[in-house]
Amino acid sequence: MNILEINNLKKYFATQKAVDGISMNIEQGSIFGLLGPNGAGKTTLIRMITGIFYPDSGEILLNGKKFKTEHDAKYIGYMPEERGLYKKMKIGEQALYLARLKGMSKGHAQEKIKEWFKRLEMENWWNKKVEDLSKGMGQKLQFVITVLHEPSLIILDEPFSGLDPVNANLIKDEIYRLAQNGTTIIFSTHRMEQVEEICNHIVLVNKGKKILDGTVEEVKQDFKENLFGIQLETIPEAINSSAFNVTAINNKKIIVKINEGYKPNDVLGHFINNGSHVVSFQEMLPSLNDIFIKLVEGTPAARQFEKVSD
Amino acid sequence: MNKIILIIQREFLTRVRKKTFIIGTILFPLLYLGLIFGTGYIADKTREDIHVALIDRSGLFTEKLITNANGHDTANTLTLITTEKDKVIAGFDSLGYDGYVEIPESFNWRTGVDSNNLSVNTKKNYGIGALVPIEKKLNKIWAEIKKDSLGIDSVKQSIINSVLSIKVNNEKDKNADAGIASLIGYVSGFLMYLILLLYGSQVMMGVTEEKTSRIAEVVVSSVKPFQLMIGKIIGIGMVALTQFLIWIACIFLIYNVGKATGMGGDGSSMVGQIQNVFTSVNIPLVVGCFIFYMLSGFFFYASLYAAIGSAINEDMREAQSLSFPITMLVIFSIFIMMTAVKDPNSSIAVWASIIPFSSPIVMMSRIPFGVPNTVPLWQLGLSMALLIAGFMFTTWFAARIYRTGILMYGKKPSWKEMIKWAFRK
Repeated sequence: MNILEINNLKKYFATQKAVDGISMNIEQGSIFGLLGPNGAGKTTLIRMITGIFYPDSGEILLNGKKFKTEHDAKYIGYMPEERGLYKKMKIGEQALYLARLKGMSKGHAQEKIKEWFKRLEMENWWNKKVEDLSKGMGQKLQFVITVLHEPSLIILDEPFSGLDPVNANLIKDEIYRLAQNGTTIIFSTHRMEQVEEICNHIVLVNKGKKILDGTVEEVKQDFKENLFGIQLETIPEAINSSAFNVTAINNKKIIVKINEGYKPNDVLGHFINNGSHVVSFQEMLPSLNDIFIKLVEGTPAARQFEKVSD
Repeated sequence: MNKIILIIQREFLTRVRKKTFIIGTILFPLLYLGLIFGTGYIADKTREDIHVALIDRSGLFTEKLITNANGHDTANTLTLITTEKDKVIAGFDSLGYDGYVEIPESFNWRTGVDSNNLSVNTKKNYGIGALVPIEKKLNKIWAEIKKDSLGIDSVKQSIINSVLSIKVNNEKDKNADAGIASLIGYVSGFLMYLILLLYGSQVMMGVTEEKTSRIAEVVVSSVKPFQLMIGKIIGIGMVALTQFLIWIACIFLIYNVGKATGMGGDGSSMVGQIQNVFTSVNIPLVVGCFIFYMLSGFFFYASLYAAIGSAINEDMREAQSLSFPITMLVIFSIFIMMTAVKDPNSSIAVWASIIPFSSPIVMMSRIPFGVPNTVPLWQLGLSMALLIAGFMFTTWFAARIYRTGILMYGKKPSWKEMIKWAFRK
């Protein structure tokens, strides 16, 4: 079942088509990666999903019904890329206030805050102020505030930036735990290794348009270049085969590209017949990073201003 | 609705619990009064006593007259001496004189009195503050001498002293006292001005703080931008109201304590004056109207300040340049108010008290003169209705700027751009 459906969403600003006809579906319980270079329109898209911006056209369906901020705010938890908290306000009070703004009752919110603070070892923070926290601590707090009201859809914009590996793992485990309990998580990031590790499904956005949509596995399969890596005990002096071309040799590993109409078996057969001792043989799938770069290459590093005709 | 109340609560509580609020509410008026009375007291205490020798060659100044005058005014001391002036100059320190005045022999009625010839000859420079009292004292003695030689007794004196003075007596409102009314009008207008500017800029800074600390984005994913803005404005408005009510309560308390302890005698002319105020001005009406105009005027200006706060970034100079036109409106109102307390029925006062942007300040300066005598009911009604319409408009207008501005970072927009945001579909 899709928790979120987006149909042909558009948002134009004076100088930019920030989001230009994006459609996508997000399955409940999935960890969804929203990728794209800087200025691709990710934040604008997220702001529409969270009800901060109204789309110019298109529709957003949450649980099959049209999204309405007043009613649906409590189902969504949003952690913006630029963290924001009241600096002078005590942490406990602040968490309570923001949870109640999401529609939680005071008692329930208090209970939940205590529970989360305990789990993330923040119990003695209650009376501290945000300005006393380090950047990483602030990050942790922001995460807790985002998930406190048990939203069914959590949107995290660059959740790990500024966190040390220990705390990053802590948050990652919490994300997995939430997903297992049926919470849907949208990740917006340009850190590809994290996406590869965490996400089931990704969408790549560039210049306001969706250019890629699929599971991590599918995407990798779609972009594979029939590359295989073979490790041999000794590398033969000349490798000549109509089945493949050698693209690189490093150490004892040979990377080959299989030609049209041939199979991996033909590569193995070639070396076995050669009398080489094969140590390992595996398919080399492209990393998301490579795919990302390949797809958005040629896009200027910063998005240019453009004229919006209509 | 529930969420607006939560926001109001937060805005109110975080401000009222701050030390600066307590200081502002209790200490500031005390400090202010202390400053006024304290400096007067200190100036009085530290004034230099000047000892002046009087060398009288005319024979008109007698020991008795001088002693009498010294008894009335102790700020300086005159001593009648017969020593030569050269000796006085040589012996300023040893004789203990700070200066001398010589009355020439020619000082008599027949040759004419040439007062221009008189001078205080001192050993160092004195300011006007020290010398004017000496002149006064000499004139007082001189007046006695004149009376003596003209043969004026106490009856004749009282005839001379009598003056005509005119008081305004409003036939429709016997208790009206124009002096007290202008005073209250002036104080109300000024207080209104302070509240509008101080709390207005608090709204502006609060909005900017939310924007620059990026909490706004977190909050507007839970509530509408309008709710966040209106919650802040109402919350801060409540703080202003609380402060005002505490002040009013303090005045009543002081007044009642003063009355109860029977300080009405010579000890506290203050209490007597306040009593006058209570009988000549309709206090509940003034306080009630003040609260109305304070809140409505605050909503009118605060929403504009909120719009500015949402448009600017960290730089406070941006705030200054954008808020300048708004601040000018308030200052302009204060100038009209100053003429309104002198002549509450002038057409500029009447119109300025009806037009929304100036009405909170100007109307408050007219109301103490009396409703419905000075301010007819239609004027009060029209002014209130227009002000309500005015703040509804500014709130609507500001909300539309706010929702765009609060998430817009980068260059500061101009007023022109902001107006464009407001009237976009």
